[in-house]
Amino acid sequence: MRIPRPSAVAFAVLALVFLVGALTSAHHSRAGYDSAPGKLVTNNGVVSNVIWRNPHVFVVWDVKETSGNVVKWTGELSSPSTMLSEGMSRDTFKAGDPITATFMPAKAGTPHALLIKVVRPDGKVVIDLSERRNLLEQ
Amino acid sequence: MRYGMRVFVVTLATVVASAAGASSQAPGRTPDRPVVPSVGSPAGWAQCPRCQNESDRSEARARFKVEGHAFNPRDLTGVYYGGEGGNRLFADPPPFTAAGKERFQATLGEKNAAGEYLHTKDTSGQGGGAQVNCDPRGWPRLAAGNYGFEFVMLPDRVLQFFEQTHTWRTIWTDGRKLPDNPPEQRWMGWNVGRWEGNTFIVESSGYDDRSWLSQAQPDGGWPHSDQMRVVERWRRLNYGTVEFQITIIDPEIYTKPWALRPVQVPLVPGTEIWEYFCVPSDFNSFNNDIYLPVATGEKK
Repeated sequence: MRIPRPSAVAFAVLALVFLVGALTSAHHSRAGYDSAPGKLVTNNGVVSNVIWRNPHVFVVWDVKETSGNVVKWTGELSSPSTMLSEGMSRDTFKAGDPITATFMPAKAGTPHALLIKVVRPDGKVVIDLSERRNLLEQ
Repeated sequence: MRYGMRVFVVTLATVVASAAGASSQAPGRTPDRPVVPSVGSPAGWAQCPRCQNESDRSEARARFKVEGHAFNPRDLTGVYYGGEGGNRLFADPPPFTAAGKERFQATLGEKNAAGEYLHTKDTSGQGGGAQVNCDPRGWPRLAAGNYGFEFVMLPDRVLQFFEQTHTWRTIWTDGRKLPDNPPEQRWMGWNVGRWEGNTFIVESSGYDDRSWLSQAQPDGGWPHSDQMRVVERWRRLNYGTVEFQITIIDPEIYTKPWALRPVQVPLVPGTEIWEYFCVPSDFNSFNNDIYLPVATGEKK
């Protein structure tokens, strides 16, 4: 059996400590979103608004359901400064932009989302926090 | 640095790091993931500490020759960001007094529909799960949530500016003493500082007891009384690092002094403090559009 190197074990422990720390130092609890594995939701819609403010940026997009109803989804990100560090600016999305959004849905069943990934129709990934969800806790 | 040039430098750094099999990524980042360039600042202006990504910080530390840079240990000047702070800085409090236990119980809030705790009694606007109303976080709670702070040294005082909530505190170094009975209680306390060797000692009192020391887990917040005294020890370990250690002395709430572990915070050269106000109208929309629907299921 391969025995992990001490440095690898130490790194894993440190990474866990960091992750737990990040979760416990969040501005605002994300307990209302379903973070269970396999619960991510993806839908397609058209951006109608971007609110670039503290404490968190949010993107609003309209999703046309098969019934014809249009549901307005509100997707939460992190603070403006954190999103700038991720390459997103207040001009990244404009009203009318079609997007594919992947997110943690609100447990309460309302059309609210903790955004994880946003992709444009040409496949360009605009935001991808799937490997750095700790950023959403800040 | 112009945006185009910065993108080039970041891209180059990424390629070099990948080629070398570099494993020096910050915790929380996946080493194999390409670094997305951050959004640059306007020409002539610097990014805020939190606007940088790890590549920006590495590039800036090299550009400003932080490693081995000469420094004056009695000069704290600079913008600092990061370090292992957060609410876990206030871990393992000493036992409460009877009054302290009562005060802590009063900070416990409600649970959401899923039975999870909400920090509903937190009025600062920075606690997880709470509606926001922008009461000041105050000191020393600001030490637990660092969006970047800046020390400015003046002949008779040291100013510490905080990006989060866009506030500051004044640490007087002109020899004045802390008042025995201050005429007002302050969210930041009344602060005086002095040098002992290369350690900057800050003592403070006269605090407003509505603030929390930090959010507690899984609910509530660590309280303090208006009799709290705080002693801080700041040291510039090298040009690129400042260290602080805080001790809370509040016999009304805690049965013995609460000495927090030392925290080292890196200098972030090439950055400047931006504006992160707690704006009540902005936070009202956050409460109404996000917090309440998500926490309660109440549809707009």
